[in-house]
Amino acid sequence: MLKINEEVCIGCGICESSCPFAAIEMVNELPVIGDTCTLCGACVESCSVEAMSIEVAESSGVADISDWQGIFVYCEYRAGVLAPVSLELLGIGRKLADSRGVKLSAILIGSDTGDAADTLIGHGADAVHRVDSPELASFSEDSYTKVLTKLIQDNKPEIVLAGATAIGRSFIPAVATTLNAGLTADCTKLEIREEDGALLQTRPAFGGNIMATIVCPAHRPQMSTVRPKVMKALEFDASRSGEIIDVEIAAELSTSRIKVLESVVSEESNVNIQEAEILVSGGRGIESEKGFELIRNLAEAMDANVSASRAVVDAGWITYPHQVGQTGKTVAPKLYVACGISGAVQHVAGMQSSETIVAINRDENAPIFDVADYGLVGDIQEIIPKLIRKLEEKRGA
Amino acid sequence: MKIIVCVKQVPDAKDVRLDPVTNTLAREGVESIMNPYDQHALEEAVRLKEAHGGEVIVLTMGPPQAEEILRLAISCGADSAVLVSDRAFAGADTWATAYTLEKAVKSLGGADLVLCGKQAIDGDTAQVGPGLAMRMDIPFVTCVQKVREAGDSSIVVERMMDDGYDVVEAPLPALLTVVKDINEPRVPSLKGKMRAKKVQIQVLTADDINADPACIGLPGSPTQVANVFPPQARGERSILTGTLDEQIDQLVDKLTPYL
Repeated sequence: MLKINEEVCIGCGICESSCPFAAIEMVNELPVIGDTCTLCGACVESCSVEAMSIEVAESSGVADISDWQGIFVYCEYRAGVLAPVSLELLGIGRKLADSRGVKLSAILIGSDTGDAADTLIGHGADAVHRVDSPELASFSEDSYTKVLTKLIQDNKPEIVLAGATAIGRSFIPAVATTLNAGLTADCTKLEIREEDGALLQTRPAFGGNIMATIVCPAHRPQMSTVRPKVMKALEFDASRSGEIIDVEIAAELSTSRIKVLESVVSEESNVNIQEAEILVSGGRGIESEKGFELIRNLAEAMDANVSASRAVVDAGWITYPHQVGQTGKTVAPKLYVACGISGAVQHVAGMQSSETIVAINRDENAPIFDVADYGLVGDIQEIIPKLIRKLEEKRGA
Repeated sequence: MKIIVCVKQVPDAKDVRLDPVTNTLAREGVESIMNPYDQHALEEAVRLKEAHGGEVIVLTMGPPQAEEILRLAISCGADSAVLVSDRAFAGADTWATAYTLEKAVKSLGGADLVLCGKQAIDGDTAQVGPGLAMRMDIPFVTCVQKVREAGDSSIVVERMMDDGYDVVEAPLPALLTVVKDINEPRVPSLKGKMRAKKVQIQVLTADDINADPACIGLPGSPTQVANVFPPQARGERSILTGTLDEQIDQLVDKLTPYL
């Protein structure tokens, strides 16, 4: 708990203004801590007379932390395809494992997984725990939860990573709940703290307006879901060797209360905008469904995928899975071309981690230009056709 | 059908910003709202009730002022509202929150269906819904974009996936988390507003729900915030100059390395 030494406190109020969560209020020249305190320690650091301290109760779980060793990466496999984020996670997993001096194991759950296990070894895994069963062919929250939970209980890894995909963010929280483990969602940075080997998990909160680093002091495993496209996969190396462990599981683990009746793959191919290298995104400034054709044409000319702001999705010009922003998807492509998007905070939250941002907008004061690397002020209807023509000329040349 | 909808009061994220110089929260004019995804969960619950009968109970864990969103929920069609509030809940992470909500649901006699928003826009974790379902030991389906059929003993829904959607059948009781595509939430009716003013909101403390003090609030939270800092500012923007054609030429040069 947060302790205040009232005799030392000089009532300056610096802690009140240092609190990122507005949890401190000065009453009679003493800080009073409110419900929104997360014990982040910002006030402790701000206090010039060292009147504040954080006391963390020793948990009974501390003793067996050392029993947990090694790193697990859940490698998502669906309909014959390994999710690209799985390989990215092996990249960061390799770094973490080397820095801890432990083994990196990939977890492969599915049916007819073919040579996927070899792919995982070639991308950095020391071992692959493979659970291949026809019953696990389609993703189901409860069977996948039971299988992964069992693997973790049997092997006791200190860290478990999974992609922050629809599947990862669905069943990983259930696994963490069953294991009494700490789980940090949607991490953008992972590193090992030198002093004690703890996993430092950094993630954006409040729509990307604040970054928070999370630790998990007294519970194991330390679990994180990680955004696609943030970590770098290692080059495939066929000479790398590793062990493939085929795990037999009890029938009751792979049976599900939930029945998948049908899987419908979207007609618009490459609907998964989170995995895209380049996104061409349209906003309200497109003005009409016909105008949105321009966006599709530009995307085609750039071999890019199409995304959109909320306004465009609400207008029905493109489906919801293409929506970028706070109530849509968070994307981080190499290149994001925002056309006719004004750049409301809710939209920017979903795309500000893109490597390079280009904005085309009629209004030179549009906030999108604040996050854009390259800005072009003008009429989209005029600019985009010209841009397409020049891109094609360049390609043809 | 007895439906419990879990909602959360969140700061309107468009107002939340850390001052990169002082590392403090710019808090002027930060309004509290009902988490947008939860509004869709509530709307779906009210529609299910209208179609199949039953009751809708809206549940939140939060400080006393979270009562505001419960009254809003009543005005939008919920039958009753429960506030789980205790200083001992402060600092709860998603594990401790799921624990607390499960205790609360149990003390309300359980439910046939629990609905949650996909995630809250302040924490953006999407972890409480699945965690709650695990604790209740009921099946769950996340990112539901459509309820196709709701029967007495099972429900058929569309679950949004990264590559399309799955049609999924779950036995009841079950928990669903919903995305905004599922419906268009209604605005409060005049009658609803009147009812919201008068309705008695049930308040439950940690003792009322028989919560173990070691499992709630900060002591019950496996994860802790080690540091909070503003995101790295992006580099200087480069404004393209010249005539429109010249600008487009420059842009093509900038884009070429990516193609």
